Amino acid sequence: MTTISSPSLVDVRAIDKSFALKGGGTYLALKGIDLEIRKGEFISLIGHSGCGKSTLLNMIAGLDLPSEGTVLLEGEAVKRPGPDKMVVFQNYSLLPWLTVRENIGLAVDEVMGDLSKAERDAVVQEHIEMVGLGPAVDKLPQQLSGGMRQRVSIARALAIRPKLLLLDEPFGALDALTRGNLQEKLMQICNENALTAVMVTHDVDEAVLLSDRIVMLTNGPGSKIGGILEVDIPRPRARLEVVHHPSYYSLRSEIIYFLNRQKRVKQWRARPHQVVARHGLEKVNLDLGFLPLAASAPLAVAEAHGLFTKHGLDEVSLIRETSWRGIVDGLVDGTLDASLMPAGMPTWMTAGGHGDAPLPIVTSLTLSRNGNGITLGRRLAEQGVRTVEDYRAYLKSHEREPHTMGIVHEASMHNLLLRYWLAANGIDPDKDVHLQALPPAQMLADLKDGSIDGYCVGAPWLDRAIRDGHGIAVAGDLAIWPGHPGKVLGLREDWAIAYPNTHIALTKALLEACQYCADPAHWAELSNLLSDRRYLGIKPELIRFSEASADVDRGGPESEGATPHHLFFGEGLNRPSRTEHLWMMTQMARWGEIPLPRNWVEILERVCQVGVFSTAARELGLEAISYQRQGIHLFDGQPFNADDPISYLNAQTIKRDFSVAEIPLAPPRRS
Amino acid sequence: MVSINTTRKGASTNPFSKLLRSTGNWLPPFLGVGSFLLVWQILSMTGLIALPAPTSLFTEERTRNLIFYPFYDRGGLDKGLFWQTMASLGRVAQGYTLAALVGIGVGITIGLKPGINRAFDPLFQFLRMVAPLAWVPIALVLFQKNQPAAIFVIFITAVWPILINTAEGVRQIPQDYRNVALVLQMSSRRFFTKVLIPSALPYIFTGLRISIGLAWLAIIAAEIVMPGTVGIGFFIWDAYQQNYVGEIVLGVIWIGAIGLVLDRLMAWLQTRISAGQ
Repeated sequence: MTTISSPSLVDVRAIDKSFALKGGGTYLALKGIDLEIRKGEFISLIGHSGCGKSTLLNMIAGLDLPSEGTVLLEGEAVKRPGPDKMVVFQNYSLLPWLTVRENIGLAVDEVMGDLSKAERDAVVQEHIEMVGLGPAVDKLPQQLSGGMRQRVSIARALAIRPKLLLLDEPFGALDALTRGNLQEKLMQICNENALTAVMVTHDVDEAVLLSDRIVMLTNGPGSKIGGILEVDIPRPRARLEVVHHPSYYSLRSEIIYFLNRQKRVKQWRARPHQVVARHGLEKVNLDLGFLPLAASAPLAVAEAHGLFTKHGLDEVSLIRETSWRGIVDGLVDGTLDASLMPAGMPTWMTAGGHGDAPLPIVTSLTLSRNGNGITLGRRLAEQGVRTVEDYRAYLKSHEREPHTMGIVHEASMHNLLLRYWLAANGIDPDKDVHLQALPPAQMLADLKDGSIDGYCVGAPWLDRAIRDGHGIAVAGDLAIWPGHPGKVLGLREDWAIAYPNTHIALTKALLEACQYCADPAHWAELSNLLSDRRYLGIKPELIRFSEASADVDRGGPESEGATPHHLFFGEGLNRPSRTEHLWMMTQMARWGEIPLPRNWVEILERVCQVGVFSTAARELGLEAISYQRQGIHLFDGQPFNADDPISYLNAQTIKRDFSVAEIPLAPPRRS
Repeated sequence: MVSINTTRKGASTNPFSKLLRSTGNWLPPFLGVGSFLLVWQILSMTGLIALPAPTSLFTEERTRNLIFYPFYDRGGLDKGLFWQTMASLGRVAQGYTLAALVGIGVGITIGLKPGINRAFDPLFQFLRMVAPLAWVPIALVLFQKNQPAAIFVIFITAVWPILINTAEGVRQIPQDYRNVALVLQMSSRRFFTKVLIPSALPYIFTGLRISIGLAWLAIIAAEIVMPGTVGIGFFIWDAYQQNYVGEIVLGVIWIGAIGLVLDRLMAWLQTRISAGQ
C-alpha cells in the first residue's frame, strides 16, 4: 500500500494543546505530538475517552488550533477548516431540513462552484450511487437509519474530493452488523480512490481492520503518542478473513495491553502516593506485582498470614498483572515497588532487554524453583510423537508447515529451558520452530485448536492441557535442570538504595512465606488460598505443588507424601546465585535477546543483592540456608564455566550471532 | 382469540358505549362552561352583581343587533363589530409585522454576536418588563397622533419575545451544523439561508406565537385611551362611557374569541413549519 518514500501529506509538529478551565488555570490536553501522515495512508487514533484524540483530529481539520506547534498540510500550516480536509462527524451532522440529494448537493455546490449545474448534479448522483443510497435520494435524514445517515455523511465528504478525509468515531453509534458493512464499504472506497484518512476510534478491531498505522494515545493530562503500530496485513482486507492473519491477534492484544496499561496508570494516579515511613522502615506502603501462577504462593501467604505486617510492612497491596510486560512497565514507570518476576528478568532489564535504556533491577531472593514443563499438543501425540527424537523427526518430515511453540516471556526460564532443550536435541529454536510469547491462558486455547505445536509454561497451566487431554508432557523441568530458578523477587536498584530497611523487611517477610510454602502439609491450604479470585481464581484441585507422575492421581487433593515439584525453601535455594544469573544472561545472549555484557561482573554484583538476603536470613535465624548453591547441572552434562562465558558461547553449535557489549550503567544512586 | 375479537367488535359497535366514551371529550368543558354561565345568570338575576346576565345579550336590543348584524356601517364610529375588529386587526398587523421584522433581524444579530448581546441584553430585559399600558403616554408624546402611537405600542409590546427567542434560536444552532459550514467554507449568504434560518425557525415561531397574543392584548390598551378611532378597544371604552354594560360584555367576549383564533392560527402555522423540519 504505502511505501516509506511516499511524501508526507500531513505533518503534525510538536503540538501542545491546552484549554482554559472554568475556575481559572489551564488543562494540558495534548503534549508534544509529532506525527507524519503519508499520502494514501489510513491512520487510526486510539485511546481512552478524554485522551484528546478528537482534539488532535480537530486540529488537523483546522476546527481547533494548537497552543504550540503546527500542523502542516502539504507543507502549509493549517489555520482554518476547509473542504480539502473534510470531516465525517460522529453524529453525521446532516442538515435535517435537506434531503439526501440536497445535503450532498449543498457541499458540492459550495466547493465545486466552477462546475456547471449538470456536472455538479452528476457528481452528487455518482456519490449517492457509490454508497448505495439511490432509492433514498429524496428522503430526509430522519427517515433514514443511522447507518444510512452515516453513508450520506461519507458520500458528502467524498463528493468534494478532499485531500484528507477525517473521521471522528464514524461508526461509534451504529449496531455491530451495520458497522461491519460500513467498515468494508469505507475500506473499499479508500482503496479505490487511494484516499488518505485519519480516523478516531475506540474500537480495537476496527482500528486493526482499517488502518495502515495505529496511533495509540496515552491518558491525559498531557497525552502523548504512546506507540505507533504498523498493520502489516495485506490489502484488500476482508473483515471476516483478517482475523486469521497471524498478526491480527498480536496487534489486537498489543492495543488492548496498551489501553489496559493506561487504565492501570490512571487508577494508580488516582490514589494518594506519599511514602509512609513507620517502625523504622523508610516505606511501609508497597505495591507488589504478581501474575496468577502457582509460584505466587509466597506472596499470597505473606499477605494472608500477615507476614508483611509482622515485619512492619503495614500497607502492602498485591497488584495482579496479566502479563510480564505489565510487570516490566510497572517497574519502569514506578507504579510497582517490587514484583514477582521470572528469574532472567533482573539481568535482562539491567542489560536493556526491554527495549528502553538499561534499568538496573536487583534481586535479593529466589522465590521458587522448578514448576515448569514442556507440553506437546494432542495433534502431535496422535501422530506418534512421544519423545524429543520423535518431534525432531516430525519437524524434518513436516518442514513446510509453520511450527510454533509458546513461551510466556523471553526472559523467563521457560524460554531458556525450552531453547536449551531443543538445541541440545538438535532442533534450532528459531529456524526449525518459531517461539512466540503468548499469555498462558491463550496458549491452552491455541494448543486445543492446533495453531501451536506445544509450549513451556509453569503450573497451573502445565497440568491443565494434560489433564484435559489436549496435550502430553514431553519433558519436565526435573529432566532438564532439576532445581533451576523459577521466580525471583525483583525491584529497581534506585528503590533498593532509597529504602534499604524496607528491602530487608520485604525479603524477610517473603523468605518466611517461602518456608511456609515448602511444607507439604500446607499444600492443600495453599491450593485453596491461591484459588481465591484475588490470586488465581481457578479451582483448587488445578493448583498443585507436587511432582507430576503417572502413579499420582492428579484429580484428587494434594497428598502429603508426594514428591515436591515446586521448591520454595531450603539450603542454597533462596540465596540469589551469581552463577545462575550469569548462566541465564549467557543463554539470553546466545539467543540474541540481549548482548553479552562485557561488564558482566559489575552487573552480577549489582543485580544479586546477596547482602540483603544474608541479613534477612540471619535476622530470621535461618543462617543454615545461606550457603551458596554449587554448580549448574543440566541434563546434557555440558559444563558451564562461570569464569569464561564467552568461550562457552563460542562452543555452542546452535546459537544466534551474539554480540558482546559494554552495558552503560549509571553509578548506583537513589532516583 | 376469536372470542375476544367478537366481544371487542360488539363493544365498539354498540352506539350507547360509543356515546359514553365520547362524553369524556365534550362533557367536562360543556359542564364547566355551562355551570359558569349558570352561576353568572343566577348572580345577575338576584342582583348580587351589576353585570347583565348572559341571556340579556340576546334579550336586549342593542346587543342583539350587534350580534346579529356585525357588518353594518352607519359612518363615523358607529360600525358593526366586524369592522371594529378589522380596524383593530389592521393596526395589529402593522405593528406586529414591524415587530417581527425588527425582532428577527436584531435577534439574529445578537444571536451571532455575543458581544452585542452582552451590551444590549440588560436593556432588552428591562424594556420587556414594561406593561403595554405604560407605553401609551410615551407613544402619544413621541408621535402626537393616535394611529402611529397605537402601532408603536403594539410593536414595542410584541417585539421582545420575537427578539429574545430568535437570538436563542441562533445561539442554539448545533455546533455540528456550524462545523459543517466551517469545513465547507460556506458563504455567509448560504449559511444564512441553508443553516441559520432553518435551524432557528422553530424558536422564531415560538416567539411569533407568544407575540401575537401580546399584540392583541396591547391593541385594547392602545385603543382605549385613543378617542375617536374605530376599533374594538375604543368600542368597549365608548360603551363604558355611555354605560352600555351589555356591549362591554359582548366586546370582551369578542376580544377573547379573536385572540383565541389568532393563537390557534399561529399554533397551526408552527406545527406546519416544524413538520417540514
